[in-house]
Amino acid sequence: MPRIRFTNLFAERIGGVSAVDVQAATIETALRALTDQHPSLMPLVWAKDGALNPVMVLFLNDRQLGAAEIGTPVGPGDEIDIVPALEGG
Amino acid sequence: MRTSFNGSHSDPRAVAYARATINLASRDVRIEDVPCRNLEDVLGGFGRSFQILAERTITHAFTPDNPLIINTGALTASNVMTGLRTYFSAYSPLKVSNKGLPAAMWSAGSCKFGPKLKWTGLDEVILEGRADVPVYLVIRHSEAGPQISFEPANDLLGLTCHEKIMWLRDRYADAHFAAIGPAGEHYEDCFMAAVALSTENQLRSGDDKCRWAGRGGMGAVMGYKRVLAIVAQAPDRITKLKPEIRDINKAASTGPGSRKFREKDKGGLGGTWSNYEPLEKFHFVPQNNFRPTGDGKPELMFRDHVQPDFVVKAESCFRCGINCHKNVYEKNADGTRGAFLAKFDYEPVDLLSTNIGIHDPRKAATLISLVDRLGMDNISVGTTISYVMDYNERHPDAPILNGARFGDFDKARELVEGAATGKFPEVGRGVKRLSESLGETGYAMHCKGLEFPAYQPDTNPGYPWAIAGGHMSMATYMALALEGNTSLDYWASLITGRGLLFVRDDLLGLCKFAGVTADHAVEGLKHEIGFEVTSAELLAAVRRSFMRALWLERKQGYDRSDYTLPSEVFDRPNANLGVPPFVTREFFSQLSDRVWAVFDREIDEIAKT
Repeated sequence: MPRIRFTNLFAERIGGVSAVDVQAATIETALRALTDQHPSLMPLVWAKDGALNPVMVLFLNDRQLGAAEIGTPVGPGDEIDIVPALEGG
Repeated sequence: MRTSFNGSHSDPRAVAYARATINLASRDVRIEDVPCRNLEDVLGGFGRSFQILAERTITHAFTPDNPLIINTGALTASNVMTGLRTYFSAYSPLKVSNKGLPAAMWSAGSCKFGPKLKWTGLDEVILEGRADVPVYLVIRHSEAGPQISFEPANDLLGLTCHEKIMWLRDRYADAHFAAIGPAGEHYEDCFMAAVALSTENQLRSGDDKCRWAGRGGMGAVMGYKRVLAIVAQAPDRITKLKPEIRDINKAASTGPGSRKFREKDKGGLGGTWSNYEPLEKFHFVPQNNFRPTGDGKPELMFRDHVQPDFVVKAESCFRCGINCHKNVYEKNADGTRGAFLAKFDYEPVDLLSTNIGIHDPRKAATLISLVDRLGMDNISVGTTISYVMDYNERHPDAPILNGARFGDFDKARELVEGAATGKFPEVGRGVKRLSESLGETGYAMHCKGLEFPAYQPDTNPGYPWAIAGGHMSMATYMALALEGNTSLDYWASLITGRGLLFVRDDLLGLCKFAGVTADHAVEGLKHEIGFEVTSAELLAAVRRSFMRALWLERKQGYDRSDYTLPSEVFDRPNANLGVPPFVTREFFSQLSDRVWAVFDREIDEIAKT
């Protein structure tokens, strides 16, 4: 199963969990599975129009992806990071 | 810290910390082990220092009774990566209630001064009273315990922060330094003076690369006390890295929590400077005194736009693998790295360029570097200058000070110099006082006397409840861009819940940029100092500390009138923002009711303890 890892911004909403394994064939379905499992993450992951939140950035196994690559296939052992493009001061 | 556990490893009373109390007037020094009273004492930082400040009655920041507390967190000098924080706490000259009383404040800085202080054998230093002549303090490790001496500081007078540090470097081996600049020496006219902390890179390269305890005028308090610098001299005492800590550090340096601050070729997003791009999508980048115009000019300061003409090198604090410092250098004709210009972070870049109508990276670097050399908080000085320019735009026939208007680099530079040297005390004393003296407070961008960082107040109704500066002590400043939620429920919940827990690392001694999880922080405490606490207990202590800070504000005369936003946020909504204005007077009034309904109860509980 691919694993989705995220920052404290996400973790603090779901009891401190900082990574979740999901059954999915693409990054998009992995993120849908994540937010199905943890609805409190919906507003962070998805924009109101259902697209990826425009201030979130995706990484697949350390490679940064463009928003258009959300359909990229994933498999067991893959690591997806979802990271806010806004942080710090 | 000294521990004497007898069975339970969770009893704060089994932990003692080493404190030096230095009476600057009498030159008496008392060094003692102080037993912890509660978990906040164990954790350190402002969790401990604010309990000390709470015991004092202080009506003016510049009095001998106002202590300057220099302390560390439980994980400062530990093997947990970014455990480098030093905290400076005092009643602030800048953060004041509408009744005119100074508020308790802390400011944190990174790099090796904190660890060196700890390696002298001290966890905390309290500077009491005031020296009769300018001095610098030398704190040395010795086999018999920490040794503290007073040294005459005549040779340091008038030097910049960097020059002071270089002077000390040449005389004290194996040491690190905290220093004030000309701004701190002119404390009566510059309440926004900061404390510079030396870095390994700086001592090695000779480049002006300090780190800062910038906010709230802690450098002004140090200047009042006539302490121009502090030397912490001790051999490094790095212990063997435990596997559990190695795992925490690996997660911090390669995990998602620090991606934002790492370089793109290290799987990162390029540092805080890169906040420009996502914020500009919504026209949330402050322009012309926090009045975005939508004209696209913020793009001129995007890293991708600036980088081709310079060399940007990612550098780091001691033993930190994140490399969040984005240092900008001249680019030689052959493309190699030339002279160091300035460290580019989002805050100073915006507040000393875009927000004062300057869109030139070289000019931004000049101003950032100048503010650093003079030893001021770049947020406070940038935001006060933007007010001056705004005022002058509104009053072209009766401008103030040097008549600076948006985009006027030479006059901006003059205001910076004048703020630090007493020529322009109107700037140096901050935007709250300046705007009140002019009778135009509606566009003075501050809450409670602390100038806003580079995030729009019309996107952040949480600002008033930040306890030590608008962004690093209340995590609401990016929420609108992140989630787009403008409901009352959301904001009340955010401010009273997750938002305030952002100050967790201001007790622990860690840097927020590492993104250490609460579980990892707990593991760090267990393996580095042997103290066992649950994540829930840790966060409860953080929350109590926050409530204690609000109680301290109440003690200093703060009431509901202090917890508000500049009136133009309500009365002059900006249609250029990418989100319809939502912070109306009605919204804010209802939000205040909701927030205080939660906080008042908890503050009352704290008041009983």
